Amino acid sequence: MNLAFLMTKLVRGLLTLLLAVTFVFIVLRASGDPAQMMLADDASADAIAAFRERWGLDRSIFHQYLTYLAAILQGDFGTSFRDGRPALTVIAERLPATLELGVSALLITLALGIPAGIIAALKHGSWVDQATMSFTILGHSIPNFFLGILLILLFSITLRWLPSSGTGSFWHLLMPAITLGTAASATVARFTRSSMLNVLHQPFMRTAKAKGIPHRRRVIGHALPNAAIPVVTVVGMRIGGLIGGAVTIETVFAWPGVGLLLVNAVNQRDLAIVQGIVLLIALTMVTVNLIVDLTYGWLDPRVELHTKRKAKA
Amino acid sequence: MSRHDAVTPMMLARRRPGWLTRLWKTRPPLVIGLCVGWLVLIVVAALGAELLAPYGYAQQNLLNRLQPPAVLGGTAEYWLGTDNLGRDVLSRVIYAMRTSILIALMSTLIGATVGTLLGIVAAHFRGWVDDLIMLLVDFQASIPFLIVALAVLAFFGNNFILLVVLIGLFGWDGYARIARGLVLSTSSQGYAFAIRTLGVHPAKVYWRHVVPNMLGIIMVQVTLNFPEIILLETSLSFLGLGVQPPGTSLGLLLGEGRNYLATAWWIGVPAGVVIFLTTLAISLLGDWLRDKLDPNLQGKR
Repeated sequence: MNLAFLMTKLVRGLLTLLLAVTFVFIVLRASGDPAQMMLADDASADAIAAFRERWGLDRSIFHQYLTYLAAILQGDFGTSFRDGRPALTVIAERLPATLELGVSALLITLALGIPAGIIAALKHGSWVDQATMSFTILGHSIPNFFLGILLILLFSITLRWLPSSGTGSFWHLLMPAITLGTAASATVARFTRSSMLNVLHQPFMRTAKAKGIPHRRRVIGHALPNAAIPVVTVVGMRIGGLIGGAVTIETVFAWPGVGLLLVNAVNQRDLAIVQGIVLLIALTMVTVNLIVDLTYGWLDPRVELHTKRKAKA
Repeated sequence: MSRHDAVTPMMLARRRPGWLTRLWKTRPPLVIGLCVGWLVLIVVAALGAELLAPYGYAQQNLLNRLQPPAVLGGTAEYWLGTDNLGRDVLSRVIYAMRTSILIALMSTLIGATVGTLLGIVAAHFRGWVDDLIMLLVDFQASIPFLIVALAVLAFFGNNFILLVVLIGLFGWDGYARIARGLVLSTSSQGYAFAIRTLGVHPAKVYWRHVVPNMLGIIMVQVTLNFPEIILLETSLSFLGLGVQPPGTSLGLLLGEGRNYLATAWWIGVPAGVVIFLTTLAISLLGDWLRDKLDPNLQGKR
């Protein structure tokens, strides 16, 4: 792996994170007196004074920014004013549920989207292709919270097969994961299909055919690896969609994850929790993007040579 | 070859039929007709809500609470039934369309204008301005916007203007990226160079020559962005963090209906269907437009 390539990506990721922290800082300072914003309404004068001292609120804005940055780097996101515990602890409690849902949804996305896209491309123009394309357009257009509600109506209320909310068993996980995974799989199927179609018409595929390599080996050995690159990118991008989507889906199914925590925290204006979650999501996204970029470079060595900004689809 | 190059600017100067004319000459398939029909219906309903809605959106009739739709044993007075306060679901959906479509239109306008301008600025000045704007583009693209929107609403509290501006900022990065790319490619073309050597001010070159040439592609981007904006607004409202009661929005209706799924599913479902059909219609229309407007793509997809 090319070191310059790695460094460029790393610096870019860190810059994005810094931007995220700065963004939260600016929003926090622009929205009013942080002491009043971050502390509960009934906070004592002592507590307010301690808070001002802690964050250097009487110092210059630049000093405040540095203090803030230092605290964030140490994992100090402030305390939730609902129960006074550190925000990070409260958020960490909710992570397993969100991860469980997110990973299941991602598995559904991959298991559904990639084969569908490949088959549609191989049977280009057939009814399978048409059906896949219709599915991707439908899946892309339906709001995931509406899909969730329709599933609840069908499977929980009409058929009484699945629980409509909560957590605890495989059956609880089923509907939220399907809802979250379907929309993403539509996008993935679409990209896989167009990427495969693109590769199938390349000259090297014709050469392979002329050399007498059997169809199956041409597809698996030649077409798939070359078609994988855009797919990896879109899967990485969809992970962001899963996190964003988790907010609505966790609300629909009362799934006790980070998304539901965020919605409740926004409603109660528990800002320490909100800023913690936003920064955590920024960190996740930057990490995912970094992994995608590195995979990209690994899949296609040519990419490393052009570390310049690549046009995103 | 060099002789042909010399001819190019003059050939470009001759008027090629504009993208609207080209569009007009191709006969759209039935599905596209249906999509356009649905969108016209939505806009008419949104504009003429007062005339079309049989009742006011907040008009309660407590004697007629939770009436099912007319075809499912309800009364003909309430086609789509009534909600928990006896409000007419059809009227509420019509008024909600107005809010959601209005927000989506204003936000799209904001996003497209801001994004296109920043894209042009980035391509015009290059250097650190370009780097800074593209860093912001990457930043915007790298964090789920719903999360950012939720955070801003949490910090600033909710009001309608903030909501519209916030939603408007969603998707600007797409426009910026496209505008930047187009400016970079047009400025290397003969005609832009020719006009500039005549001493025309850059702003005028962009406004009179570059932007009109971009409109087709920007329109395609609008069809990609618009459904996402509707989804963002309805998601926020669904979560109770977008449009606030007593206002209505399609997402808010669906959110309210969620509490009555077991007893009165018709409170929320119609709003969901409207959102779905609208985003579907725009997506299909956008696909078709893209095929028609971008000759490079034809036969490739």
